[in-house]
Amino acid sequence: MIKKIALCIVFVFMFMGTAFGELRVVVTLPWIGSLVNEIGKYRVHLDVIVKATQDPHFVEAKPSMILAVRKADVLMYNGLDLEIGYLPVLIESSRNQKIQSGMAGNVDCSRYVKVIDHPDKVDRSMGDVHPFGNPHYHFSPKNIERVAAGITEVLSRLDTGNADFFRKNMAVFSSKLHGKESAWKAKHFHGKKVIAYHKLFEYLAADFGLTISGYVEPKPGIPPSVAYIGRLIEKMKEERIHTVITTSLYPRKEVDFIADKTGARVIVLPHDVGSMPEIVDWFTLMDTVLTRLQ
Amino acid sequence: MKILLFLLMTILALCPTVSAETLEERVKNLENALNRQEQIIREQQKKIEQLSGQKEQIQTEVIQTTGVDSREKERSAVRDYRLDDRSKAIAMQSASPISPYQITEKQTPSLLNPSISLIFDSLYYQTNLSEEELEEREIPGYVALHEHGEGSHSHGHGTFEKGFNLRSAELTIFAPVDPYFNLYATIPFTEDGSEVEEAYFVTTSLPAGLQIKGGKFKSGFGRFNAFHPHAWDFVDAPLPYTAFLGGEGLIEKGIQFTYLPPLPVYTLLGFEILQGENEVLYGEEAKSGPHAYTGFAKMSLDFGEYNTILWGISVTGGETKTESIEHETEFSGNSVLYGAELTYKWKPSKDRSLILQSEYLLRHQTGDFEYLEDSTVDSLKRTQDGLYLQGLYQIDRWRIGARYDVLSIFKDTYKLAGEEEDFGDNPYRLTGSLEFNPTEFSRLRLQYTYDKSAGNGKENNEIFLQLILGIGAHGAHSF
Repeated sequence: MIKKIALCIVFVFMFMGTAFGELRVVVTLPWIGSLVNEIGKYRVHLDVIVKATQDPHFVEAKPSMILAVRKADVLMYNGLDLEIGYLPVLIESSRNQKIQSGMAGNVDCSRYVKVIDHPDKVDRSMGDVHPFGNPHYHFSPKNIERVAAGITEVLSRLDTGNADFFRKNMAVFSSKLHGKESAWKAKHFHGKKVIAYHKLFEYLAADFGLTISGYVEPKPGIPPSVAYIGRLIEKMKEERIHTVITTSLYPRKEVDFIADKTGARVIVLPHDVGSMPEIVDWFTLMDTVLTRLQ
Repeated sequence: MKILLFLLMTILALCPTVSAETLEERVKNLENALNRQEQIIREQQKKIEQLSGQKEQIQTEVIQTTGVDSREKERSAVRDYRLDDRSKAIAMQSASPISPYQITEKQTPSLLNPSISLIFDSLYYQTNLSEEELEEREIPGYVALHEHGEGSHSHGHGTFEKGFNLRSAELTIFAPVDPYFNLYATIPFTEDGSEVEEAYFVTTSLPAGLQIKGGKFKSGFGRFNAFHPHAWDFVDAPLPYTAFLGGEGLIEKGIQFTYLPPLPVYTLLGFEILQGENEVLYGEEAKSGPHAYTGFAKMSLDFGEYNTILWGISVTGGETKTESIEHETEFSGNSVLYGAELTYKWKPSKDRSLILQSEYLLRHQTGDFEYLEDSTVDSLKRTQDGLYLQGLYQIDRWRIGARYDVLSIFKDTYKLAGEEEDFGDNPYRLTGSLEFNPTEFSRLRLQYTYDKSAGNGKENNEIFLQLILGIGAHGAHSF
């Protein structure tokens, strides 16, 4: 009797979660979630596992994340090794064959991207360098359009019944993006020189004509020494650099010190969707970034 | 087709017995063949020129859009060109029904090699005890730490030599085997040689949240057990683990089945069939064939964005034949070990975190206790427990830790031939640590332990200075 009940419970568990028709999409970063929202809207079930308050480089694989990935039909992630510290554990521990590497439900968004900063030679003495290139491509409208197109194709293929709905939403997204692009283009920075905290804004710089002349971090992921800050301040004075860009994730101490010594303006940019209350989707993210940079 | 024709013609042309053609005709044929060849070469050259033209065009486009120095421009242009093929493929695919996930990734040869990492674990050790006292150290009524000197240098064991110690250089290799298995191996190299600490497969394609792990692996029993020594929160294992499982924990050959049901709350259920060779709890010679079983259940919940708790219960049991209780003795009988675990983590940012963790272990054993010298046998029945409680607080690259571990806290019966034995005071230790972690690949730890685990024996004041360095593949960390 007890065995029968136990068996019944196991079966109920097995079919829970698969009973509903909606495609379950799990994404790592909030901006990917925003794109999935634009394309899938109310016809997909979306789970975002990384919070906007977290540094995407240092996320820990929580059991709740394993559970989310367990129930996923599709897992979409940034790629380029940004999630190397936790995603492999999530994928293996999820016990979900749909999202294993090489399966239809495993979507590395960077495969749609023109990657920059691909190092020719890399070792860890250079700091936390990403060996496959700079992974922070979400500040690049051109790349984001391609990623959105990729997401559309994946969703359409896995949920053929809603394919037309997804493609229509993609067309709307594209035209909205093109509409915005002309406004954004007007904000071209014509080679304006800035100092950045981390190698986070390289795509933004490439797309909008910003020149990043140096970094507060001497090497990616390595905090600066006093001597290094001193050299940076001198460089800023010499080259007349009046702007330091950072995000709310990075410590303010060094940045404020530099600003104090050089009179530079500190611009705190949002690093992802949701990192500031007014940033509700990818478009407002780009709007805010470009407005704050003015 | 052209090539075929050309070959045919050449053969015909060169074949002198084909017909009674004149020499002139044959020369003409040869000329024709040469002309055709030339034409093919010209066509190919044209194609090459076209392709390189495209490449340059793309390069100049890219250079116009980027604002970096010229060398960087060149490099990224070449890169972009390579990647441009990818986006072209995507564009093509939007039109064709082929799915985007079939795009071939840029292949690098290293993708076919397994991921390899090496973790160096070394320490400097100082204590008020003499080398001899260290050798003879035991936890009375629980375990003799050095049964017949064997394994005293083994990796992760709770005992060290005074001065410089190389604990191990641990090689870890892992890679997917095929779409169905992942394979892992952990091979610590020590001065005494190397051993395969772990080598196991994990399935990736079983349905319904099921997974099988098999080979030699760290059992899913408890929480601490799953971690390798370099990932421990302190230099040494907590007392309950040392006393009930030896310094290395429960590492066994066998098979593990786990099930992750799609519930609203993370729940993991597991069952293991093990060979049962742990030198403290089971023993290689207890019985031939698998004779130990483990079951565990773990659950986890998040509270708010920053708080996570993980709790679970475990049990492992089987037949036992061990010489680890006291020198020159052997115990054979049955053992059951129960475990309960609770972990709380608060992590508001990467620069700050607090981890509180505790485990309670209770072991029950009944069997025969034999004095090897004169072969006299008494019955032994013992039920003993242990607990550890630890906290670690991290600020930026620094972390401080404290641990209290104790045995015989709630339960302590040791009945030899029906008589209760008394081993003196409850064994306990107090530990404090300070870590500096320059990056996630390096850790320097200073630890002090006040060790009163020898019952009424001498107390041990220990100081450790440990350096752990990791190179190679970036391993993902579990919770």
